[in-house]
Amino acid sequence: MKTLSKSLALVALAALAAAGCILTSGQFVATYDLPDATFSTGGTFQGELVDLTTIGEYNDHKDDIARVEDLSLVGDIRNNGNASAQAEVWIVPGATSAPTGVVPGAVKLWGPITVPANSTVNVDWNESASLFVGRQTLIDEIKGDGVFGLYLAAPSVTYDISTSNAALIIVFSAKK
Amino acid sequence: MKRILVLALAGTLLCASLAYAGNIGLGAFGGMSVPVLQADQSQGGVYGLRAPVSLTPLFTVEPFYSASTLGDKTENIGGVDYTREGSDVTTFGANLLLSTTGPMRFYPYVGIGSVKFKRSGQDESMTSYNFGLGLGFTPAPKFSLDIRAELQAAAKDQVSRKMGNLTVGASYALFSFN
Repeated sequence: MKTLSKSLALVALAALAAAGCILTSGQFVATYDLPDATFSTGGTFQGELVDLTTIGEYNDHKDDIARVEDLSLVGDIRNNGNASAQAEVWIVPGATSAPTGVVPGAVKLWGPITVPANSTVNVDWNESASLFVGRQTLIDEIKGDGVFGLYLAAPSVTYDISTSNAALIIVFSAKK
Repeated sequence: MKRILVLALAGTLLCASLAYAGNIGLGAFGGMSVPVLQADQSQGGVYGLRAPVSLTPLFTVEPFYSASTLGDKTENIGGVDYTREGSDVTTFGANLLLSTTGPMRFYPYVGIGSVKFKRSGQDESMTSYNFGLGLGFTPAPKFSLDIRAELQAAAKDQVSRKMGNLTVGASYALFSFN
């Protein structure tokens, strides 16, 4: 019976060891505020250089990130036009400055979301998480140097859209 | 993982060969589930079913099913609150209990299984490992009550989501066998 007990104890330890360093990992939330923006047909192009290294939570765990669990772009999107319009966000991997126009090689990151005429849509954390279409590109940037470009786009023929209170929310797993 | 399961089953079957009147029971449990080091979830409830198979006075194998509803998490960003719903977590697995005997039992246990996390934008399965301590009472023949505290780790890609689960449960021995 003693041998059996020892064997079962070893099995239990093996089960725990098989999970690697699972006990020393955790999930962390990093948020990046985005500036208010307005873009319209023939108007100003809205690009932003995102530098995640300016966020403490990201810097604290940058070298230990194992997985990106959750991605969201939240905020208010207002359609100032008289017809419904769609809004999208595109990512420019490896950018070193804010995009000033449509960039070849950019990847659609998020959206589209439809905003009715003369209305404001509040994009919450839950809805936004399901609108990501370029997850892997952003994951690569997050696990890379954390610097990339974003720009707003609208697939509608005419548009007049403003955004406010916008932020990028990233949930990642890091291990020690 | 399969090798570990086979070893665990072989060990318990070996025990079953000993002269002992074992029994098969059915039980239910419920309690609270507290995320550990998960900044995107908060405390929620957990409930489930167990089918304890007592093979020797010392060892019990216990297939189980549990469901947790983790709580929402709110982040304030630029003065605006944004809330992420908690995940619905379902686990199928089996525990191995190393129990003392008598009307009051104290037992450590380990378990392994498959766990699924589901919410908007998340639908993924992981391997579940759990270990904990239980305290059991037998207030009437065939009937037992227990209190358990365990750590559950849902592992994938060398990282895990961890929950501390505190539950109370009741089970009834339905069948006996030799």
